Amino acid sequence: MSVHHDCDVLIVGSGAGGATTAAVLAEAGHDVLIVEEGPWVEQGSVVPFSLEQMDQQYRSGGVTVALGLPSIAYTEGRCAGGGTEVNSGLYWRPPEATLDSWRTKYRIKDFATDDVLSICEEVESSLSVQKVPGQHTPASDILRRGADRLGWKNDEIPRWMKYPHGAGATEGQRQSMTRTYLPRAFAAGARILCEHRLDKIVRSGRRATSAELTDLAGSAAGHDAVTISFRDVIVCGGAIQTPAILQRTGLRHRIGRTLAVHPTVKLAARFDDAVNTPEDVSVYQVKQFAPNISFGGSASHPGLVALALTDNWRDFGSAVTSWPELAIYYAAITSEGRGLVQAIPGVRDPLVTYRLTKRDRDLLGQGLGRLAMVMLEAGAEEVYPSFKGAPIVRNRADLATMTTMFAATKASVMTVHLCSTAPMGDDEKRCATDSHGLVRGTDNVFVNDAALLPEAPGVNPQASVMAVAIRNARRYCADRAG
Amino acid sequence: MSDPVSTQRMPRAVARFADGLLAADLPRLPEDRRRDAVDFIGRRLGVLPSITRFGVLVIAAVVHAVGALVGHARVRRLVLRLPLPLLAEYPRLIRSLGYAYIWETWPDTDVDGGANRSQAA
Repeated sequence: MSVHHDCDVLIVGSGAGGATTAAVLAEAGHDVLIVEEGPWVEQGSVVPFSLEQMDQQYRSGGVTVALGLPSIAYTEGRCAGGGTEVNSGLYWRPPEATLDSWRTKYRIKDFATDDVLSICEEVESSLSVQKVPGQHTPASDILRRGADRLGWKNDEIPRWMKYPHGAGATEGQRQSMTRTYLPRAFAAGARILCEHRLDKIVRSGRRATSAELTDLAGSAAGHDAVTISFRDVIVCGGAIQTPAILQRTGLRHRIGRTLAVHPTVKLAARFDDAVNTPEDVSVYQVKQFAPNISFGGSASHPGLVALALTDNWRDFGSAVTSWPELAIYYAAITSEGRGLVQAIPGVRDPLVTYRLTKRDRDLLGQGLGRLAMVMLEAGAEEVYPSFKGAPIVRNRADLATMTTMFAATKASVMTVHLCSTAPMGDDEKRCATDSHGLVRGTDNVFVNDAALLPEAPGVNPQASVMAVAIRNARRYCADRAG
Repeated sequence: MSDPVSTQRMPRAVARFADGLLAADLPRLPEDRRRDAVDFIGRRLGVLPSITRFGVLVIAAVVHAVGALVGHARVRRLVLRLPLPLLAEYPRLIRSLGYAYIWETWPDTDVDGGANRSQAA
């Protein structure tokens, strides 16, 4: 049995791009239907950063990889609210210099830096962006302490969290999309279909006319085929799924060819006190070498600690029993490399590849070395770098040895910031969409998510994604009203 | 709500390799825990993106076939030592998934898989 829906605007995906787009359009009076492949998971029903959360809210249980030398593990949210439900909640405005550079290099129209930053202000108010009013976690203090002792620039990064008066870092209530923009969209009449996978967008010439989906929850009951007719479709599936959807729709101009990420390398550090707060991450970041290299804290569940030690289990393994005294940190770099997202006919998931440049590989090594230095200064007893055959680092001499042994090809490289697979701008040679997300070669297919960012911004990209999405959604409303 | 992690059956080649790897790495891990960990690895492999899953299964099949000829333990040791890019990712993936599951589920596990007395106390 098949089910049919109609709407003015179909929005594919409900993360930072999709939810904000839905709220703006619904509040402007458009009949909005959101389709989301993942389930709606109430906050608090799963432990943050746990394997259970990965099962429920991440694509492929969190095991996704961009192939290359080295391959880069990445994660994508796959639930109502997308990545905003599962990420660290750290908020960074896009740097002004980055916005200026994008506007010029990609010829993005109506993209005044002040206008984008003004939207960021609205976002900050909607998401209650603020610093921790009370006590920080020990893992946060470690980064601050180590950087302070080295005289390196560091700061607390605000998060989209609401805290009870004077509350500590672990008592915040995440202001993700299921708590903010999605309820706003619903209040204005938007609808959502969760656990519906988009299989195909049907086109007739330059116009998309309908979408074919599978109801993942209904398939057992025998009513899994769903069709949706719409006036316009806005694809907000994230930097991996969005280009794959567009390619399967037959749209290829500059789509999926310029994947940009912030590659990271990690280490675990052991201290002589309990420092591990499994359900939270550090809110401090070290920005002494930004934008090229930044340091921050990662989720440190005991399972993730064990994972971080597997690169040299023979030497590191015994530390796993001390996991309460261990925390995991990362060094993230801006990358000059680029990747590909390629839909393969007959195969559901796209092929994702990424190539680090020599400069990227060198920067990862420098980043890991300096991060280990921060840990030693902060009082780490032992540092366990995440690359195959790495030595235990206990002092500066070990650090020098580690630096000579490091090779990016042996490292466990990962990323959570994926961008730029359908860049926006009026420069047709570089950009897949126009300056407001309309896909070239179409009259009614839009992109409005991280895929539009022309480059990885060098900071957590969620604020950039939301600001750009709101800007484009308002432009859409103005155009359709006219 | 449907479980997004499929429970489809894991190929025997992967199950055997994962079981052997965990048994060698963590000799004191109780058998029922090892079985749970191997099941978890199977569930995660079952939801890997199609192309990655295909690659893993091809490597698993080759490793299994060679193991049938020269001995699974011998091939496992060889695979762990060889620095070949794609081949080396196979034990790394199995080990990563297995360890993450074991220490997340039983955080008092010792480095050899037994119960850690200091934490258990």
